[in-house]
Amino acid sequence: MTVDQVSSVADRPRSTANARPARSDTRTGPSMTTRRHRAFYMFTSPWIIGFALLTIAPMAYALWLSFTTYDGISPNWHYVGLGNYRELLHDAQTWDSLGRAGLFAVISVPLSIIAGLALAVLINRPIKARGLFRTLLYLPAVVPPVGAGIAFKILFDQNTGAANGVLTFFGFDAIGWLADPYARYVLIMTVLWSAGNIMIISLAGLQDVPRELHEAARIDGASAWRTFRSITVPLLSPVLLFQTVTGVIASVQTIMPMLLAANPTTGGLTTIPQSNYTYMIHVFSEYFALGRYGYASALLWVLFVLILVATGLIFKFTSGVVFYNVDPEAKK
Amino acid sequence: MRPQAGAPLSRRRFLALSAGGAAGGAAALSGCAMQVSTGVSGGSGETVTLMVKPEDISPELVKQAKKDTGITIRRVDYDITKLIAMLTSGNPPDLVRAVGATDAAYFAARGVMQNLDPYFAKSSVLRPDDLDPVNDLWRYDGRVQGKGPRYGMAKDFSQDSMYWYNTAAFDKKGLDYPSETEPVTFENWLESAQRLVQRSKGQTTVFGGSYNGQTKITLMAALTASAGGSLFSDDFSRVDFTTPEARKALAWYIGYCRLNVGPTPINPAPQGWDGPSYQAGRMAMSNNGYWMGGMIGADKKLAQVSRLAPAPVFAGGPRISACQGGTGMWMPRKAKNKDAAWRLFEWYFGEAPAKERASSGWGIPTLKSLRPLIPDEEDYQKRTLRTQENELKHFSVVSLSPYITGDGFESLFNQVTPAAMKGEMSVDTLAGRLNSLVNEQLKRGKEQVG
Repeated sequence: MTVDQVSSVADRPRSTANARPARSDTRTGPSMTTRRHRAFYMFTSPWIIGFALLTIAPMAYALWLSFTTYDGISPNWHYVGLGNYRELLHDAQTWDSLGRAGLFAVISVPLSIIAGLALAVLINRPIKARGLFRTLLYLPAVVPPVGAGIAFKILFDQNTGAANGVLTFFGFDAIGWLADPYARYVLIMTVLWSAGNIMIISLAGLQDVPRELHEAARIDGASAWRTFRSITVPLLSPVLLFQTVTGVIASVQTIMPMLLAANPTTGGLTTIPQSNYTYMIHVFSEYFALGRYGYASALLWVLFVLILVATGLIFKFTSGVVFYNVDPEAKK
Repeated sequence: MRPQAGAPLSRRRFLALSAGGAAGGAAALSGCAMQVSTGVSGGSGETVTLMVKPEDISPELVKQAKKDTGITIRRVDYDITKLIAMLTSGNPPDLVRAVGATDAAYFAARGVMQNLDPYFAKSSVLRPDDLDPVNDLWRYDGRVQGKGPRYGMAKDFSQDSMYWYNTAAFDKKGLDYPSETEPVTFENWLESAQRLVQRSKGQTTVFGGSYNGQTKITLMAALTASAGGSLFSDDFSRVDFTTPEARKALAWYIGYCRLNVGPTPINPAPQGWDGPSYQAGRMAMSNNGYWMGGMIGADKKLAQVSRLAPAPVFAGGPRISACQGGTGMWMPRKAKNKDAAWRLFEWYFGEAPAKERASSGWGIPTLKSLRPLIPDEEDYQKRTLRTQENELKHFSVVSLSPYITGDGFESLFNQVTPAAMKGEMSVDTLAGRLNSLVNEQLKRGKEQVG
């Protein structure tokens, strides 16, 4: 159709006889926008209801408990305002256990990210039986944490464990791995053992790095290390940031390996070595051994706030070094 | 305000509806949870909710209960947090397992236990005059454990300050066996443990002896009683580790830990308890009472070299042999199905299951009339029974405070004792630290009980 033809059609007078009735402006039924809104809320509502019931409500309940001396069973509990929060400021065990949790995060998060990335780089190379290696390296991450914890406990038992069996075979003295001061190292090993999770995420990131960038670098004469440092790491930085944030959050909340290395009962708390007596163990002890629901809830709320602050700080201090392969302005 | 049909769903309205839905859901869930017990009195044809551990009632026993009493057991796994949630929501189990020594006074003082005296008074199965004194662990008069109304009953028991020893380990070191009737002193026991321990390249191949009690609160209270004192003040609102008797008890235990002759809190038993090490011949002495004979008796070779010995004493101290456990059941005050629960209680503690337990050798029956069922066919059974019967003469209830749980005490105890166990803190400093920590918790407990 030419431009003239188009304009002649546009100028043609409308026949009233053949014209379909004009669509009414007072049509019934929801508009498209309303339907879209409704669909959105319908699809998200299971999550939102679950979030309200299983996250917001318990958190609000814990917040209320944190202002009381409630212990779950005694008849004379009462409201103490900020008393529990004031108490935790002066509780040496709170600060000591928080320090241990922080130290654990500072050591375990970088180590596990480095280990996971190194494994990912290794299995990203074109080697034989790559699929088998990937499976084998990921396998520990699939083992249930309870099984892994118990296996480590057996391996590192002072008197019957395989670790000391190797040491004594070579003429060294056995070590009390599960006692202070070595228990912390076993805990870190437990975390590193399941670095397969990080490996898989890093591997996905590595495979997303454009091959032509590596080829261009190689043509320019860049060494493998320089290519890794200047191309791979910057492009992986969003993945590394994600692993750092989730790693920090998970590590300060770690509790199961400590319990399993001791005796996973309330009474078993007592056999947790001091070096593994982290913040969450302290919370667990206050809740379930001492029955101080109010105080323990205050401890948890403080941890929640500290995690928010730590996450904010990580984002703030990494904003200049994390490279996003999408131009945020282009989307506007 | 009724929303118009077709009007867009605003965020505010959506959140309001979600909140309403959430509240409705919670109410519905709560309503469901309430419908556990019918509350109808009687026995046959009813359902009773038991909060127990799997080993307390096997699936076969559940079937047998139905056959014997007509009552259906709905078993809920024991979990203290679940129990508290059920008690708080007004929907408690009908019967709950607990450890008489550490739990009875704690729960009774908080008013959540049903006084069972009226039931015992009417029962032809569980007659008060037939109850072993160990059941006094389940009595509490509002101040002292061991007196007053009965709130529960033990299923079986042991005198947990006694110990088993392996004669082969003594033979290997050329040591005389401890007497099976006369107690050794704690100092002698520790000396023997030092001579019996076997080490190689930093590993303990054979533990000389293990002495950790059932829990730290029962251990320290029993040791202090053996030294002639009391760990708690008269009103149970305070502990004092600096009294000569309590300090003696504490010093002995810390000394035991420092010598590293057996499992300790800083070097715990690999499997969490002594049994596997003792069974493997890797432990010369194990602080466990008669009940461990059930495990030992299953291994004829082990039974031949095992002996049960009386609870040690402190030189010059009284001979005391307490039960540190007394595990049994209690009935919540707000249980919905009390009569049926009591019928099941009678069955469990006085009929077929009780007889089966008595004849298994895994504990002393808590009804005097069931004593003849204790196994005594084999030589080792006769010998063990002789020792045990002699020890019963020295049984006593060591009362604990209702203001702290066993787990609570243990948690505080182990916060500060590792330093002393490693020799980094003196016993006197430790005693002061323990007083401060434990008394703070006792004060809180007392305030809450009122």
